[in-house]
Amino acid sequence: MELVGSFLLDPLQSSIGRHALIEVTLLGALSGALGFWVVSYGLSYGAESLAHGLLPGLVGAALLGAPLIAGAFAGIVATAVLIALAARDRRVGPETATAVAVTGMLGLGVLMALAPATPQRLAELLFGNPLAVSGGDLAAAAALTLLGGAALFALQRPLAALAFDAAAAGSLGVRTGAVRVGLAVLLAVAVCVAVQGLGNLLALAALIAPPLAVRRHANSVGGAMTGGAAVGAVSGIAGIYVSYGLNVAAGAAVALALCAAAAIGALAPARARARATRLRPAPSPR
Amino acid sequence: MNALVECSGLAAGYGGAPVIHDVSFAAGAGETVVVLGPNGGGKTTLFRALLGEIEPMAGRAQLRDRTAYVAQADRTSLDFPVSALDVALMGALAHGRWWLPPSRADRRSAAAALERVGLAAEAATRFGELSGGQRQRVLIARALVQDARILLLDEPLAGVDPASAEGIAALFGELSGDGRTLLVSSHDIESARRYERVLCMNRRQVAYGPPAETLTRAVLEQTYGSEIVVIDGSGDRVRALAVQHHDHEH
Amino acid sequence: MPSPLDLVDLPFLRTATIEVLLLAVAGGLLGAWIVLRRLAFFAHAVGGATFPGLVVADATGLRPIVAALAVALAYAGGVHRAGTRVGGRAADAVTGLLLVAALALGVILASDVYHSGARVDRLLFGTLLGLDGGDLAAAAAAAAIAAVATLLLGPAWLASGFDRAGARTLGAPVGLADALLLVLVAVAVVTALPAVGALLTTALFIVPAATARLLARSVPGLLATSVTVAALQGVVGVYVSLWADVPPGSAIAVLGAALYAVVALARAGVRQLDTA
Repeated sequence: MELVGSFLLDPLQSSIGRHALIEVTLLGALSGALGFWVVSYGLSYGAESLAHGLLPGLVGAALLGAPLIAGAFAGIVATAVLIALAARDRRVGPETATAVAVTGMLGLGVLMALAPATPQRLAELLFGNPLAVSGGDLAAAAALTLLGGAALFALQRPLAALAFDAAAAGSLGVRTGAVRVGLAVLLAVAVCVAVQGLGNLLALAALIAPPLAVRRHANSVGGAMTGGAAVGAVSGIAGIYVSYGLNVAAGAAVALALCAAAAIGALAPARARARATRLRPAPSPR
Repeated sequence: MNALVECSGLAAGYGGAPVIHDVSFAAGAGETVVVLGPNGGGKTTLFRALLGEIEPMAGRAQLRDRTAYVAQADRTSLDFPVSALDVALMGALAHGRWWLPPSRADRRSAAAALERVGLAAEAATRFGELSGGQRQRVLIARALVQDARILLLDEPLAGVDPASAEGIAALFGELSGDGRTLLVSSHDIESARRYERVLCMNRRQVAYGPPAETLTRAVLEQTYGSEIVVIDGSGDRVRALAVQHHDHEH
Repeated sequence: MPSPLDLVDLPFLRTATIEVLLLAVAGGLLGAWIVLRRLAFFAHAVGGATFPGLVVADATGLRPIVAALAVALAYAGGVHRAGTRVGGRAADAVTGLLLVAALALGVILASDVYHSGARVDRLLFGTLLGLDGGDLAAAAAAAAIAAVATLLLGPAWLASGFDRAGARTLGAPVGLADALLLVLVAVAVVTALPAVGALLTTALFIVPAATARLLARSVPGLLATSVTVAALQGVVGVYVSLWADVPPGSAIAVLGAALYAVVALARAGVRQLDTA
């Protein structure tokens, strides 16, 4: 019994542990809620590309002593611009153009990090370290999570209308261009917050795992978002505890906890109503 | 007549040569128009031009009042976690504050709309679990919540069993009785007789007028070319079926 | 600045240069097919997913290419399974998540099980050192297989068409030829891992072919240009890697992307002149 008690209290004893727990709760909640839209709008590949490509921004921030979130944001903007430019030539498809831009940015980030004169924090930037989050970082993450959450709450009806029926959304008065831009901005914000704790290679898990865990069980849009936020936060906390208990890398532990949540959610038996939907044969063709 | 829907000399496309051209017609309040034509004949393009999704290359396409667009449900929307009531409530986005959850008045309006289309019992059912005909009726309920005076329906009866199709056709009659204008694209030449006006299109406007004037052998052959099967060709009044080619885009 | 002749004189650099030239053949040839058939995501992901296998091999003395191949095939299988069970958008998401899981597993193995954290850079981004005859043999085999396969299966790969454009999952393969293409890409990517690392195989497998796509007017032209560009990028990349003391994968990646940018800008400039 004492063992359980000390296990539960362990991370809470130090400010490092407390910061880490708050950090993963914030990033888990925001990314978990937003993730529903990332999957619904088919943005998984885009999110992954932005996350991988932002590395030079992270390294630059580390070199300058600037906040990582700022570096991440600069990296995302640069990557998005490069992808858009690379895709302009019609001969090369958008998927290939994205690969070229991301490959270049990843290589550049590595060059910046490993050229001898600079500090070598590369592994931490790639794979994250929630235990290295400062009070200032935490405040920034909290502010962004609050703002992002509020924006998500406000945008949920237009987002749902557009995702459900893109052809009719315009006639419903939804400003489709503005909604898509809003979603892209929210995605950038969520990636920045997630990168702080998980690094740029593992951040995607926070966006993708919760919606995959929840999709067969959610009955409403609000439920999918709240469920995603809950799964994200709980998985994050579980990851920190695993990290403390087994003495393994914290960022990776959180990422694996998120993946495990997705697997459990995907394999758990769905409620009767949702199951009926899956068994029904495909609707008759036109 | 005060036309709610009007096209004059309309030509439209997606860059390059126009997909449709020389389209000129008008429809007033309470009128029902069926748009007939082969696949690729430009029916969807016409709707898109009317909705303002594509710019006309020539002429004008105008909708003079609130419009609802009812299109075929595709795969993603069938997986989306929304109930029939949720979908009907989307109509409330057209008025009111989109950044707040729907109001109680909106909810009452959505419930009433579902009742009117005969789906009050299915309000909590997931949209993807409904039958084809029921899904169409939910989308019409959404249009009612929107209080659209003009409805553009893209092949609403495709894949719907005959019994449900009857019910939906009756619903169209009620909507027109409300004073709403309906434009319905269809493949079904026989049921086209029930509409007040028929617009025959094959990239260009072939004819526009009451069924008696437009559902003639000459017009139908011009519209469908070889895609038509004539069942009974006595005189000018033909009974015919259009051969359908299914798009396999998903 | 080191002399370029070092690439030929110093034994380890000679090995590295030859390795990269051999990889350029497979990378250029298969890269052309990857670009034509829109398999960019698959090629990148299958390389990255081998990371845990590389960590285990590095720590236990297993042949890295063997371990990597096992993991690559397991990943491809997992993605295929997911692709057949869930719809398109969720399948994309699962593919990305499986890659993250593989990377996270590799990190834990490296930092906490085998305590080989310092060597992670090498596994992820490549190395000039430690390339041996076995790696050369593997790269040569991949080059030969790529060449033969292009000759025999090229027409089939072209004919299969582009109807799966944008498909990033391995839903039911369209036929034996397509399945073979995916397997060949996986195998060739694995042979490139020692030199360019798990995360930057695309530097040789996609970027040169993309640049070639901007230049070439025919499929044979595309194949030839792709190999040439890959070889050029590779050799100069080895030199830069030596000079700046950075992993070769990163040098090749940056060079390749820069070259693409130059060619793309030149093409845009020419188009402007044409329409002026």
